[in-house]
Amino acid sequence: MNEILCRDPNTVMRLARLGSMHQSRLSFMRVLTRRLAREQWRFEQTAFEIDETGQGHAVYTAHGPERSYSLIAFAHDLPPEKRSDRVIAEAWDATFTLFDGVPTAEDIDRLSRNIPVQEAGRVSGSELSVSRANRSVRLWEHVVTALASGVQPDRAQIDAVGYLMRTTAVYGSGKLGAADREMIADRPEFRAPFQVEMLSVYLTRWFVMDLVQHMANCRAAATGTTAAKLDIEIARSMGIGNSTGLGMAPFLLNHPVLFNNWVAARERAIQTVRNIAEASPEDVSLFRGLVERSKITIAKWHSDHPIQIEKLAGLRSDVAKTDHYLEAHALTGMNPWDGLYRWAEDALTVEGQEWIASLMLEPYGALVDGYAEEMSADNTATFRISGAMTIGDLRGLLHEIYSWAIETDWQAPQNKARAWYVSEEKLEPRLGERFEEPIEEYEQPLAPGRDAAMLYRALAHWPDEAQVAEFLLRHPEHRHVLRRAQIVGRAPYAEIRDNTISDRVLPIDMLRCKLSFFGATQFDPRSDRWVRICMYGNAPLPFELTSENAEFWVFPNLQETAA
Amino acid sequence: MSHSLNEIEAMSKRAARGAGLSWGLAEEAAKGTRWLSSFGFPGTELLAELLNLNDRIPAIDVSPVSLRAEVWHAPARRMSPLIAGASLSDCAARLLERGKITMENVSLPLLAVPFMGGAALRLGLPVAAEWEGARLATDGKRLCVQASPEALRLRQAPTLVFSAPAEMTGQQEPLLRAEVCEDSWSQLEKFAHRTFAPATEESRLKGAGAGVSDND
Repeated sequence: MNEILCRDPNTVMRLARLGSMHQSRLSFMRVLTRRLAREQWRFEQTAFEIDETGQGHAVYTAHGPERSYSLIAFAHDLPPEKRSDRVIAEAWDATFTLFDGVPTAEDIDRLSRNIPVQEAGRVSGSELSVSRANRSVRLWEHVVTALASGVQPDRAQIDAVGYLMRTTAVYGSGKLGAADREMIADRPEFRAPFQVEMLSVYLTRWFVMDLVQHMANCRAAATGTTAAKLDIEIARSMGIGNSTGLGMAPFLLNHPVLFNNWVAARERAIQTVRNIAEASPEDVSLFRGLVERSKITIAKWHSDHPIQIEKLAGLRSDVAKTDHYLEAHALTGMNPWDGLYRWAEDALTVEGQEWIASLMLEPYGALVDGYAEEMSADNTATFRISGAMTIGDLRGLLHEIYSWAIETDWQAPQNKARAWYVSEEKLEPRLGERFEEPIEEYEQPLAPGRDAAMLYRALAHWPDEAQVAEFLLRHPEHRHVLRRAQIVGRAPYAEIRDNTISDRVLPIDMLRCKLSFFGATQFDPRSDRWVRICMYGNAPLPFELTSENAEFWVFPNLQETAA
Repeated sequence: MSHSLNEIEAMSKRAARGAGLSWGLAEEAAKGTRWLSSFGFPGTELLAELLNLNDRIPAIDVSPVSLRAEVWHAPARRMSPLIAGASLSDCAARLLERGKITMENVSLPLLAVPFMGGAALRLGLPVAAEWEGARLATDGKRLCVQASPEALRLRQAPTLVFSAPAEMTGQQEPLLRAEVCEDSWSQLEKFAHRTFAPATEESRLKGAGAGVSDND
């Protein structure tokens, strides 16, 4: 049989598919927990100085084989009118930084003046991230009340929200003066992307459990009683929420090589598994078990947004179809995974196809986990334009990557109805109506399709043998998209092959794609450009992490739910 | 104040765009300023000076007239080091063929130097830049500097010569943090601010598309 190739970028890089991605073994939080377990990292709470009003700080340190990292958490007493998940917020329920090493009292003092004000503060090269979180007001109050009155919180209410706090920004890579990624990129623990941010969130979840218990204890003590201790099973079922707006969408467009490397790693993993000639009974049984466990997540997945409601209905019907398929097929024939994938391509919605594509990687950690090592990026080499490329070759490249855009009528208002811009209010990224708001002059270069089509048109009267360098000297306005086209020529999954400014664009597709690579679940759009998700739901807490539970925690345990 | 290199790059890109450069050239300005800062040069000061000098003027006026000319010169009789540098990087292969590329009347020549780093990486050979009182060479990763402080801050170089292959002597490694002079930073902020849309009630409500209340 011929080798099965990677999926075509023209198929993969469409917004509808990117917006249907599911977490996988290569997701950054799973890469992190596997490493922490494998290297037997040790975790300790070294400070918890928080008063009965919930204000103060705490420190959680993770000790690795060579280095230690500390989450410094500041807890605040936030009035409800100040609680906003948006960038424009100025106060939060809790604020955090991941410190490189173990902080001294002076470090904590310095950071206590800077971290609580987030963007209005400054940090140094000793800090690796800056983040903040807000409570889920309803669930927080329910859990504190229940524990303070000596009982466990209601499981249904826990499941309906899934987290006690949601992060509203996690800044890394030099933001606000923090260490650049280049300063730490050569450390093995940070080789995969976003490991700093994922470690910070993992420790944040532990802090939140401690804080809710502390608040319940204080409330009980005030009435002369003793609070119940939060059941570890319930604690484990909760993750950390995240509330995300438009900022993530420009990220994917502004880091094309990095984005390529994420998608390419997953695509190579899918290709590798589809090329497996025969599946062992153990692999098949593991897969079948995880399908069952994954069904629990899908059953619990709740959204009020019409788009996601429809996608969930499709996914649930895909799950039923998959059950039938797996009853009829033992996966014992030749190329069973390719057979399954090909069937899914015909029979399931895009959401279901991506669910299966991620899930069939699970039995094959030994074959696919190594791809995670290739997911980060150094842009130096790809940034430079090859000026010696001929116009003829450039035209060919544009045809290959942007044919959809060259064929689009960019005069039609609906095809360019929107414009991406940055507001002067705390630099919040926004998406506006080009023909209704005075924003066009502030437009960010986040419409590569339109820009590539304009470049293609500008080249029309240039001879094939002329060089790109000559063209750019006359047309610096095309320099950005020409560089992009050359990058995509080398990194085919770098480009979103869809219209990012049409009247129908759904920015949540971009957000979901990025968050799926983080390892998020329970995508719950709040609008076409805002999404809430859950991270680390079901994950072992740091102090109970072992090689046995580090692998498949994302799938809820069957017996636990049955109980 | 100590800044991360990513901060310097992000600020430089916005500032260059705010001063009227195309996005593609703003990206070059940002990478260049970052590169200079990583070698301890006052990258943000030089960039702020250049943006003030060329604020919102047409790029074509300060670009080389032809890349084939024996000596590159600009119609305005002064050449932008960013455009000159970007063109040099685009012409890396030609630089090696010709051995050297000479430019006339280049403003703030140090700002053109990072681009020869790009050319050096593309060629896999060190590239040198020379003007009165200064000679710098790089293989793209390390830098050799033989120059007086005045020459490095020269406002305009009558002649700037790039050559390849060059010799590397007395190498300097890049740093991972940079000290930034506050005045240059606030000047860049002023240019960057032009790229931000003014706040309007409508955009605040609709543009980010968040929910109405987060107290749930």
